[in-house]
Amino acid sequence: MTTKANCGPVWVVAEQVDGRIQNVSLQLVGKARQLADELDVPVEVVLLGQGMKDVVEPLFAAGADRVYLGDDPVLNWYHAETYTEMIVSLALKIQPEILLIGSTCTGRELAPLVAARLATGLTAHCIDLKINDQRILEQWIPAYGGLISIICPQKRPQMATVASGVFPLPDMDESRRGELVMLKAPEAVSGRIRTLEVVRREPETVALESASIVVAGGIGAGDEDGWRQISDLARILNAALGCTRPVVDAGWAGHETMIGQSGKMVSPELYLGIGLSGDLQHLIGVAGARVMAAVNKDARAPVFEQVDYGIVADCREFVPLLIEKIRAYRQSR
Amino acid sequence: MTLQIIVCVKAVPDPAQAGRIRIDPATRTLTRADVPLAFNPLDRNALEAALQIKEKSGARITVLSMGPSGAESIVRECLSLGADHGILLSDRAFAGADAYATSFTLARGIENIGKYDLILCGMASSDGATEWVGPQIASFLGIPAATQVEELTQADSQTLIVRSGMENGYRLMEIKLPALLTATRKLNRPRALSFSGIIKARKKQIVQWGLQDLGLAEDQVGQAASPTVVSAMTTRTARRQVEFIEGSIEEKAEILVQRLAQAGLI
Amino acid sequence: MIDFTFTEEQEMFRKAAREFAENQVAPRVAEMEAAGKVSEAVVRALAEAEMMALTVPEPFGGLGLGYTARMIALEEISRISVATAMMLQVFALGIEPILKFGSEAQKQKYLPDLASGKRLATTAVTEATGGSDPTGIRTSYRKDGDDYIINGRKCFITNSHIADTLTILAKDENDPKAFSAFILEKGMPGFKATHEENKVGMRGCNTGELAFEDVRVSKEQLLFTEGKGLRVTMAAIGDVGRGGMVGCALGVQAACLEASVKFSRERILYGKPISQLPTIQSKLAEMKIDLEAGRLLAYRACAIQDKGQPSSNEFAVAKYFTTEAAQKAAKMAVDIHGGYGCMQEYAVSRYLRDAFVLGPSAGTSDIMKVIIARWVLS
Repeated sequence: MTTKANCGPVWVVAEQVDGRIQNVSLQLVGKARQLADELDVPVEVVLLGQGMKDVVEPLFAAGADRVYLGDDPVLNWYHAETYTEMIVSLALKIQPEILLIGSTCTGRELAPLVAARLATGLTAHCIDLKINDQRILEQWIPAYGGLISIICPQKRPQMATVASGVFPLPDMDESRRGELVMLKAPEAVSGRIRTLEVVRREPETVALESASIVVAGGIGAGDEDGWRQISDLARILNAALGCTRPVVDAGWAGHETMIGQSGKMVSPELYLGIGLSGDLQHLIGVAGARVMAAVNKDARAPVFEQVDYGIVADCREFVPLLIEKIRAYRQSR
Repeated sequence: MTLQIIVCVKAVPDPAQAGRIRIDPATRTLTRADVPLAFNPLDRNALEAALQIKEKSGARITVLSMGPSGAESIVRECLSLGADHGILLSDRAFAGADAYATSFTLARGIENIGKYDLILCGMASSDGATEWVGPQIASFLGIPAATQVEELTQADSQTLIVRSGMENGYRLMEIKLPALLTATRKLNRPRALSFSGIIKARKKQIVQWGLQDLGLAEDQVGQAASPTVVSAMTTRTARRQVEFIEGSIEEKAEILVQRLAQAGLI
Repeated sequence: MIDFTFTEEQEMFRKAAREFAENQVAPRVAEMEAAGKVSEAVVRALAEAEMMALTVPEPFGGLGLGYTARMIALEEISRISVATAMMLQVFALGIEPILKFGSEAQKQKYLPDLASGKRLATTAVTEATGGSDPTGIRTSYRKDGDDYIINGRKCFITNSHIADTLTILAKDENDPKAFSAFILEKGMPGFKATHEENKVGMRGCNTGELAFEDVRVSKEQLLFTEGKGLRVTMAAIGDVGRGGMVGCALGVQAACLEASVKFSRERILYGKPISQLPTIQSKLAEMKIDLEAGRLLAYRACAIQDKGQPSSNEFAVAKYFTTEAAQKAAKMAVDIHGGYGCMQEYAVSRYLRDAFVLGPSAGTSDIMKVIIARWVLS
């Protein structure tokens, strides 16, 4: 491939689970394609796993020019040291200009390990990426009630993590082809960390990303009883149940249901925010909702600046009443 | 042989009040709010994990923090909770450090301490929220790291069994010491401060180390050694015009259902 | 210069006490209110958190922290539960006479268990005929060989039914001017806790009556010198008892202000939070002024007390000011809450009931004025 640019390619480190490429990786390839076109450089993807040869096609369809594939039994499960070593040695050779990784559980561990080894900067959970007029990557994150842009002017690659749903899935061009480069897996894996078991449960609830109604609860639920009320509301509305970080911290809900900058991005027809203050880190995850309503005890809560309907009330009193009224409305029809 | 544990802690703007630090729409700089420092919540889980190991099989716990001299009160709090020794890395040159430079300085502080078997950090700080510092310290020290730890048991004196959170599940790992772990809220329930613990901490030392104590040059620390910089700030304006639904709490529920039904949403 | 700031250690004590109150006491407030009884779990938690040990010197198993630390702890606990703070303050009031006037043997015998919470303490002076004027009491003792025989009744005694070790005041059957203090133990023949009160406020602490029917005690139970009992009990009540009430009152003041700030920011009227109305702001400002002034009076008196100097007059001023201010603050807090202020679910209704129990405890405001007037006229 010829390129006029004097900089390296845009990289995405893709993630697979049980041989399936994750949506966030395809979203990042789509974004990488845009950035690479502006820089006039290729998009390259690094993928590590086992039995992956037949599943790399979507990466090309999403916009990759080249895929570096490590395909080996030792790479089946994510292994911090092995993965880091392979990515770092390849990056030192190829010198990518930009390196994007999904803000997944393993991505959030792998990215800082790679960045430290490459002695470069890493921006967490970006909600937008832009090339500025100096051809530098602006990495936008929410902070202090606004947005700030972080750049990495000197060091390369410019590294960022991005949560699933921040960027849309790109249009898949099945006819696109690219180059598949096989990577050699290390002969021996460091025994300092040994993965004994990886367990994944199928989530029982409606998937947040595809739900047409999302009910999100915050710490205002008060306790587990309050949280149960909010999940009852979600069930009655046939809605997906999401939450804010404090709820995850309190242990009422799992990290996989967290909405926002470092969690899921959703764009339902209706968003109902219950007992949450409306930190930008959370609201950024629901900006795509069509209609938004929020319940909070404090009329000054920032959430009321971002919703269509506001209800000032204690959610513990309000939610049972709302459930009652929804039932009554349905019976009346 | 006693296990040597180092717990890295951070003094953060009190999370309950941190919302007062905002971007000024006019100047596009941060408003200087007088927010007091507090113990980063997840670091308390990291310390608790260390204290539980100490109680079970014996350990010496050193607390390490980087920050302004006001951060000493957080180190003192750790000593009051049961840590044995405190070190504060404080120097004007350390200011403005991003996660990379912070991790580098902390790693140098750890090397300065010398011997260690286990390093514990909170998964993330409530202000920076990057999650990078723990794994990057491990990287600089050349030791293995496991992040997002939800469960921790000692298999033997040199091996830990660690459970890390994953989407809809977890990973179970065996990890050889020396190693670094980052703690989540699920790992434990941190103990409360006690009056007698505070009294016992009177006799415990907090050492301050600056640039020279760490044998570092100005360009190796702080803003000068940070690969990332903030290049711009914007404030967001409300994109939606809120309609407050008024009435008794029951009327509010009734009206909300009507509005949503009219919009074809339920 | 006078340093009016708390030390870093004192700030940490406050943090410890606040965490204790919020984590250990707050979850049990509703249960205490409904039952009108002491929560055993709270007593256990107080003991585990070494709250009974604050004023006891280290050689006797205590923390030896003195009275400023005690005030900090009481203020923070009262902010969550006045009843719990009241119970705790009276533990110290029960410990104080033994601490200040006990023989070495009495200290060795009682203080370690009182500090650890294994035994609970109170001091009993008040009777139907005298309390603030203790010379009016009728409980009496007479000598019988090396023993004393005690007869009489006490009323309005905090911790009456839960205390294991009680310091009581009695007068000589044969000499109405001679008063002596005795250490009584639960289970002594003839000694009973009888009627238990059902109070409108501070429902989670126990108040009741004690009866003594020919209670025979050996001379080892006599506290300090025979005939000097008034000095023993008055010193404890004047400093530790009054000081404890000040801590309870400050907690109420702080809780009222916090609840009012929170509610007035949440309650919308005329399209705005009521915190923007001048009339509400005036109330909030008054509460803050009283709280700041009350704290200065309280901690100054503690500073004198920690130096070992007499502080009962200073505490009389502080007790008058802070309990009056707590009652005022509770009324304003209820007013700010409007209709909600009359509902059990809102804590301010409890603050109002608790605040009114602060008044008579350890001497009414009128008695405080008598004491203060005596001070200025002396």
